[in-house]
Amino acid sequence: MDLWQYVSERWDRLSLQALLHVSGVVQCTIIAAIIGVVVGVLVYRSSVGSAVATALASTILTVPSFALLGLLIPFLGLGVAPSVTALVLYGLLPIVRNTIVGLNGVDPAVTDAAKGIGMGRLGVLTRVELRMAWPAILTGMRVSAQMLMGIAVIAAYAKGFGLGSEVFSGLTRAGSANSLNQALAGTLGVVILALILDAVFVLIARLTIPKGVRD
Amino acid sequence: MTVAMEDTETKAVSGAEIRLENVTKRYPNTKAAAVDEFSMVIPAGRIVVFVGPSGCGKTTTMRMINRMVEPTSGVITIGGKDALHIDADELRRGIGYAIQQAGLFPHFTVAQNIAVVPGLLKWDKKKIDARVDEMMDLVGLDPGTFRHRLPRQLSGGQQQRVGVARALAADPPVLLMDEPFGAVDPITRGNLQDELLRLQNELGKTIVFVTHDFDEAVKLGDKIAVLGDRSTIQQYDTPDAILANPANDTVAGFVGAGASLKQLTLLRVRDVPFDTDNVIAVDHGDAPAQVAEKLRLADRAYALVLDERQRPLRWVHRRELAGRTSLLDAGKPVGDSVTTQSTLQDALEAILTEGGRAVVTGARGELIGTIDISTVTDVIANVRETHADGGSA
Amino acid sequence: MTAVAEGLPGVSRTSAVERKSSVTARSDRVRLFFQPVAVIVIVGAVVVWALSSDLNANEQETLNLPTILTLTGQHILITLVVSVLVVAIAVPLGIALTRPGPDRVAPVFLALANLGQAAPALGVIVLFFLWTGIEGLWAVAIPLVFYTLLPVLRNTMVGIQQVDRSLIDAGRGIGMSAAGVLWRVELPLAVPLILAGLRTALVLAVGTATLAFFVNGGGLGELIDTGYKLQLNSVMYVGAALAIGLALLVDWLGGVAEQWLSPKGAE
Repeated sequence: MDLWQYVSERWDRLSLQALLHVSGVVQCTIIAAIIGVVVGVLVYRSSVGSAVATALASTILTVPSFALLGLLIPFLGLGVAPSVTALVLYGLLPIVRNTIVGLNGVDPAVTDAAKGIGMGRLGVLTRVELRMAWPAILTGMRVSAQMLMGIAVIAAYAKGFGLGSEVFSGLTRAGSANSLNQALAGTLGVVILALILDAVFVLIARLTIPKGVRD
Repeated sequence: MTVAMEDTETKAVSGAEIRLENVTKRYPNTKAAAVDEFSMVIPAGRIVVFVGPSGCGKTTTMRMINRMVEPTSGVITIGGKDALHIDADELRRGIGYAIQQAGLFPHFTVAQNIAVVPGLLKWDKKKIDARVDEMMDLVGLDPGTFRHRLPRQLSGGQQQRVGVARALAADPPVLLMDEPFGAVDPITRGNLQDELLRLQNELGKTIVFVTHDFDEAVKLGDKIAVLGDRSTIQQYDTPDAILANPANDTVAGFVGAGASLKQLTLLRVRDVPFDTDNVIAVDHGDAPAQVAEKLRLADRAYALVLDERQRPLRWVHRRELAGRTSLLDAGKPVGDSVTTQSTLQDALEAILTEGGRAVVTGARGELIGTIDISTVTDVIANVRETHADGGSA
Repeated sequence: MTAVAEGLPGVSRTSAVERKSSVTARSDRVRLFFQPVAVIVIVGAVVVWALSSDLNANEQETLNLPTILTLTGQHILITLVVSVLVVAIAVPLGIALTRPGPDRVAPVFLALANLGQAAPALGVIVLFFLWTGIEGLWAVAIPLVFYTLLPVLRNTMVGIQQVDRSLIDAGRGIGMSAAGVLWRVELPLAVPLILAGLRTALVLAVGTATLAFFVNGGGLGELIDTGYKLQLNSVMYVGAALAIGLALLVDWLGGVAEQWLSPKGAE
């Protein structure tokens, strides 16, 4: 049967996997964002700290995702835990780097003015600096999310969630009638979902970035 | 009044004459031509400056000479040879090209940059190396120090010098320069302009120089072409003539209100009647009392103290001489002085610095005379009269 | 598959090839120093541990030097083949697509390469396998070439396009031919960016090569998979450590190449 038929027949399962895939990626992105922003806030003032944090996060990205899973599975077993850990680790670099660059890119005149009118350190940070770094942070999250959409496919190896399981099934059942369709459904599904997710980020950017800051 | 450009010996002319006849450039999709029926003869061995407002087409016209822009129609010959029907790359290897940003290749050393065109012409290595050193000397960069430097290690002025060296390396008869000194500070620009004039004195190339700075045009040009829209020639004449008699309002606008002052850069001290025997000059070993007596008899206030080689040292006023034993620390030192070669503009500056009168010295620094403000203003008045009568230099 | 931040689909707002921020540049220097140290420590420790501790029979079957060397060799071979092919295709293509004329179809090729990187690596490998039936080295190398094409292609194009126009004007003006300007001016000045793209591609390739075993291509991923299937943690660790070490090493070599192979004055 051709791809359309396959997809419509298996729609229930596919849509479930798709949903799990996206929601998993989104949640991991958010966790990575929280950790990443905190790290960024802690180090952005120090050039050594920034360099080290960025170096560590970049090095993580160099690690093959399959190998990272291989390290985590013995410790964390199978299922959600190793997948989420790996995804969060990978999602860190774009967010950490963009947080640092974004915070350092805030016009010193603005922070000066804020301090001058009496905002405390925390106030300046949360109400001025982070708000102005938000576009950069959001872009970092967007980049991370795109990456994670692809990596999550591998995570299915550890019996995690998502469309990767379709790809794996297609592989293990090579030669059978629907193996190609299944792998295709999984792969194309990821691509399409990634594009949709990206569009959502663009929407969020439009909604949350005030006109005065948008470039 | 001749433009005193070179010294008394005739200089070698290695340049070639450039002729443009009815050269036109049309771009597709635009009705009006960018350059319309441009005709001009650029004499061999001369500097011709194209000056005009931005967008008038002066750079386009210049770039048609080396076909960086291909003319839509017309004839261009260089040294009598048709420029439009030979291979463009080959043509350009015979034309020097210097642009505003210098365009030095950042990944080539200074020596490698200068050696590019000789390399393209397949000179042998020894000849190229010798030529590179020669060019560097010519533009005032010590080969030992600068040969292996990268462009980013040079100042703006140094980069421009390398650019000029590169343009001249293959000894082309023609040199095209597109606002080459526009991107450096005014002091460096002045130095570079002086260097160019000195080079031209030695080499005698045909130089087409584009600028929007009229003062630069006056300083450098043997002839100036004031260009208007679509590169129409508003006036093509010597700087002298244009300053004295602008052809129309456009040109007059360019010349600006300071035409008289600009003429000061064209005249030299030796061309005007400065005083040669109007100063009381005394030797530094003379007794102050004697000098005071001399001044009293001549009814003059100031004396000029000279050293043993007749070089001016100090100005001394009569009243400062009482009670002194030596002239050497009396009065004020001579600050600014000019030579017979200096322009009247330099003379005016010196006059203003010294307070009314400046010393004129000769080739070895010895006193020749003095020049004061009234001499200068008289000269200007005369020049204007001459040109207004229709006579030109 | 490894994940790298550049060249992702939809990242259209930020210029896909950004000039390195100073933070990135400084972190690069940190990594240039410490990465090789990390590699030696990780790989050395793991391998020494693996080969010297008491292993049961099952473990010994996989954790012996010949097996490890074979798998590592396969892994390196895949990476090399992919890199050579990518450079051979993407660099000339990138040059061609910046010439006036062909540059009209540049967006098409860029979109195709973008697509190649948007799809998940494993998906592309599996699809290629199911579609063609090819196994082994080429089953992984060909999809990987498609997958890693974008960074090199795009960096080649941007590298050439960001050469200051006045340099090209000066080059042509003094009499260099168009080809001369390309070879002697545009390409050398594009080398730093091309090398950066190549480094990205290399890291992607070495990381994704861990998936080669899925289509019988061998590689260090097989160690991990064997350990997983046989429930032998030690084997998984060794496989993972070696794969990570190799990836870090390749990335470090890429960084060194970026520093040392760029023409002086072009950075």
